[in-house]
Amino acid sequence: MGVVVKKVELSWLDRTYVWPVLKGMGITFKHFIKQLFTPTSKRYTIQYPDMKKVMPAGYRGLHELKRFEDGAIKCVACFMCAEACPARCISIEAEEFSDLNITQGFEEKRPQVFKIDMLRCIYCGMCEEACPKDAIWLRNDYEVAAYDRLSMQFGKWDLMNTYAEADGKARITEDPMPSAPRRVLAM
Amino acid sequence: MDTLASLLHTSPALAWMVVKIVIVFSAVMLLASVWTWVERRGSAMIQDRIGPNRAALFGRIRIIGLAQLLADGIKFFFKEDLEPTDVNRGLFWLAPFLAFVPAMLGFAVIPFGRDFVSGGTIYHLSVLDPGNGMGMLYPMAIGGLAVYGVLVAAWSSNNKWSILGGMRASAAMVSYEIGMSLAVVSIFMTTGGYDPAEIISAQGSLPWHWNVVPQFLGFIVFFTCMFAETNRLPFDFAEGESEIVAGFNTEYGSMKFSLLALAEYAHLMTASALVVTLFFGGWQVPFVAHPSVGLSILSFVVKLLFFAWVFVWIRWTLPRFRYDQMMRLGWKAMLPMSMVNLVVHAWLMSHGR
Repeated sequence: MGVVVKKVELSWLDRTYVWPVLKGMGITFKHFIKQLFTPTSKRYTIQYPDMKKVMPAGYRGLHELKRFEDGAIKCVACFMCAEACPARCISIEAEEFSDLNITQGFEEKRPQVFKIDMLRCIYCGMCEEACPKDAIWLRNDYEVAAYDRLSMQFGKWDLMNTYAEADGKARITEDPMPSAPRRVLAM
Repeated sequence: MDTLASLLHTSPALAWMVVKIVIVFSAVMLLASVWTWVERRGSAMIQDRIGPNRAALFGRIRIIGLAQLLADGIKFFFKEDLEPTDVNRGLFWLAPFLAFVPAMLGFAVIPFGRDFVSGGTIYHLSVLDPGNGMGMLYPMAIGGLAVYGVLVAAWSSNNKWSILGGMRASAAMVSYEIGMSLAVVSIFMTTGGYDPAEIISAQGSLPWHWNVVPQFLGFIVFFTCMFAETNRLPFDFAEGESEIVAGFNTEYGSMKFSLLALAEYAHLMTASALVVTLFFGGWQVPFVAHPSVGLSILSFVVKLLFFAWVFVWIRWTLPRFRYDQMMRLGWKAMLPMSMVNLVVHAWLMSHGR
């Protein structure tokens, strides 16, 4: 069954075409005046380099590797994120370490190399979901760009510091040193 | 004026002529180029956008984007002047000038201010003094020449889209010219002369004595026809992105394109000057019987800019017509309406009103 198109009967005033034109001009003029007197910050257009869009909660932007308060990385190098990644952009090399304060002397794993190829990443958030330690977050920064391909390979320290300025944290460039010899408290 | 003339070793009349020409044509060209910006910025505001506001002098002084004119000019000036291989070379080069010159020339007879007497001689504020025997017939004739700019550009491009656009546009311009001319004829009739100075002085300073009130039908017809004459929306049949690319200026680039685009805006200025002169009392100031020269010029410029803005305003209000709709409107609505207008006013005059 077809759609019955209802024909609109125009009044004589509308059929002169002059009055509807004036009405339309009124509408456009209203928009013109409204836009003219709207301050720049309240217009629909976000003038990008000067103004930035506030991203909604749950936006998946640039990654951050989370850290403990003392600066130790939360990641335990379980490779779950690398497995979950559909773009295969995460590459991890694990290392063993022990620390009196953090691991009570037990041997634990942490990434020595944690690399994300930002050119490959599709920002799907699967790594975030797969992580058992909530060590990797996708947050609200969307300005991921560089002048060359190599700069888009984000290493462990790049990823740990991606939101350092935004959160007011200190930039860290090395793991906290183990403060005791290995296996002192073990057994 | 006399001192200027003696400095230049010419007669005052000649010096005054040159000054008038320089002022009028540079003002029209400046306004035309400013209006490209007004069009973009105004359309943006109408559509709740922002428009070009980032071009800045020395990368610093933004002046609400007015530097866009300079930026556009520089850009067009330094672009490669591309010429497709199969164009008719002479006509291809001639066409932008054929479009631009008539658009500017139409302004020559328009009085843009009150006459004034200085040192025993009367100075007329129009490039061609009144009583030159051409009067308002001259801009009509020159307006007719504007078809050639579009058509020659279209023909010489050797491009089927161009020629389609050019043909459509010239058909539209020719058919709307009749209605427009008849609307003007009824003004000549009621005024009793076709000199713009006579037309303006006959209208007086009271707004309800201006031609727009007794000849509202004529005004509607004339104004509508002006849209077709200037090839602007809703009647822009020279172009049409969805159908024929950019129409007659498809093959044009760099400064030649810029000249074609400027011609459109110069034409717009001339058209609104005609509307003001014929229907809105030219330089007459409302409710001021004997305005000073400066005030009369200001009044003319304000009216001119208002109608130039109306051209922009209407463009961004109305959707474009289909070709057959426009032809029907031109022949079956505009022509009979202007004829009715003519006959009614002839009848009124014959009954002494």
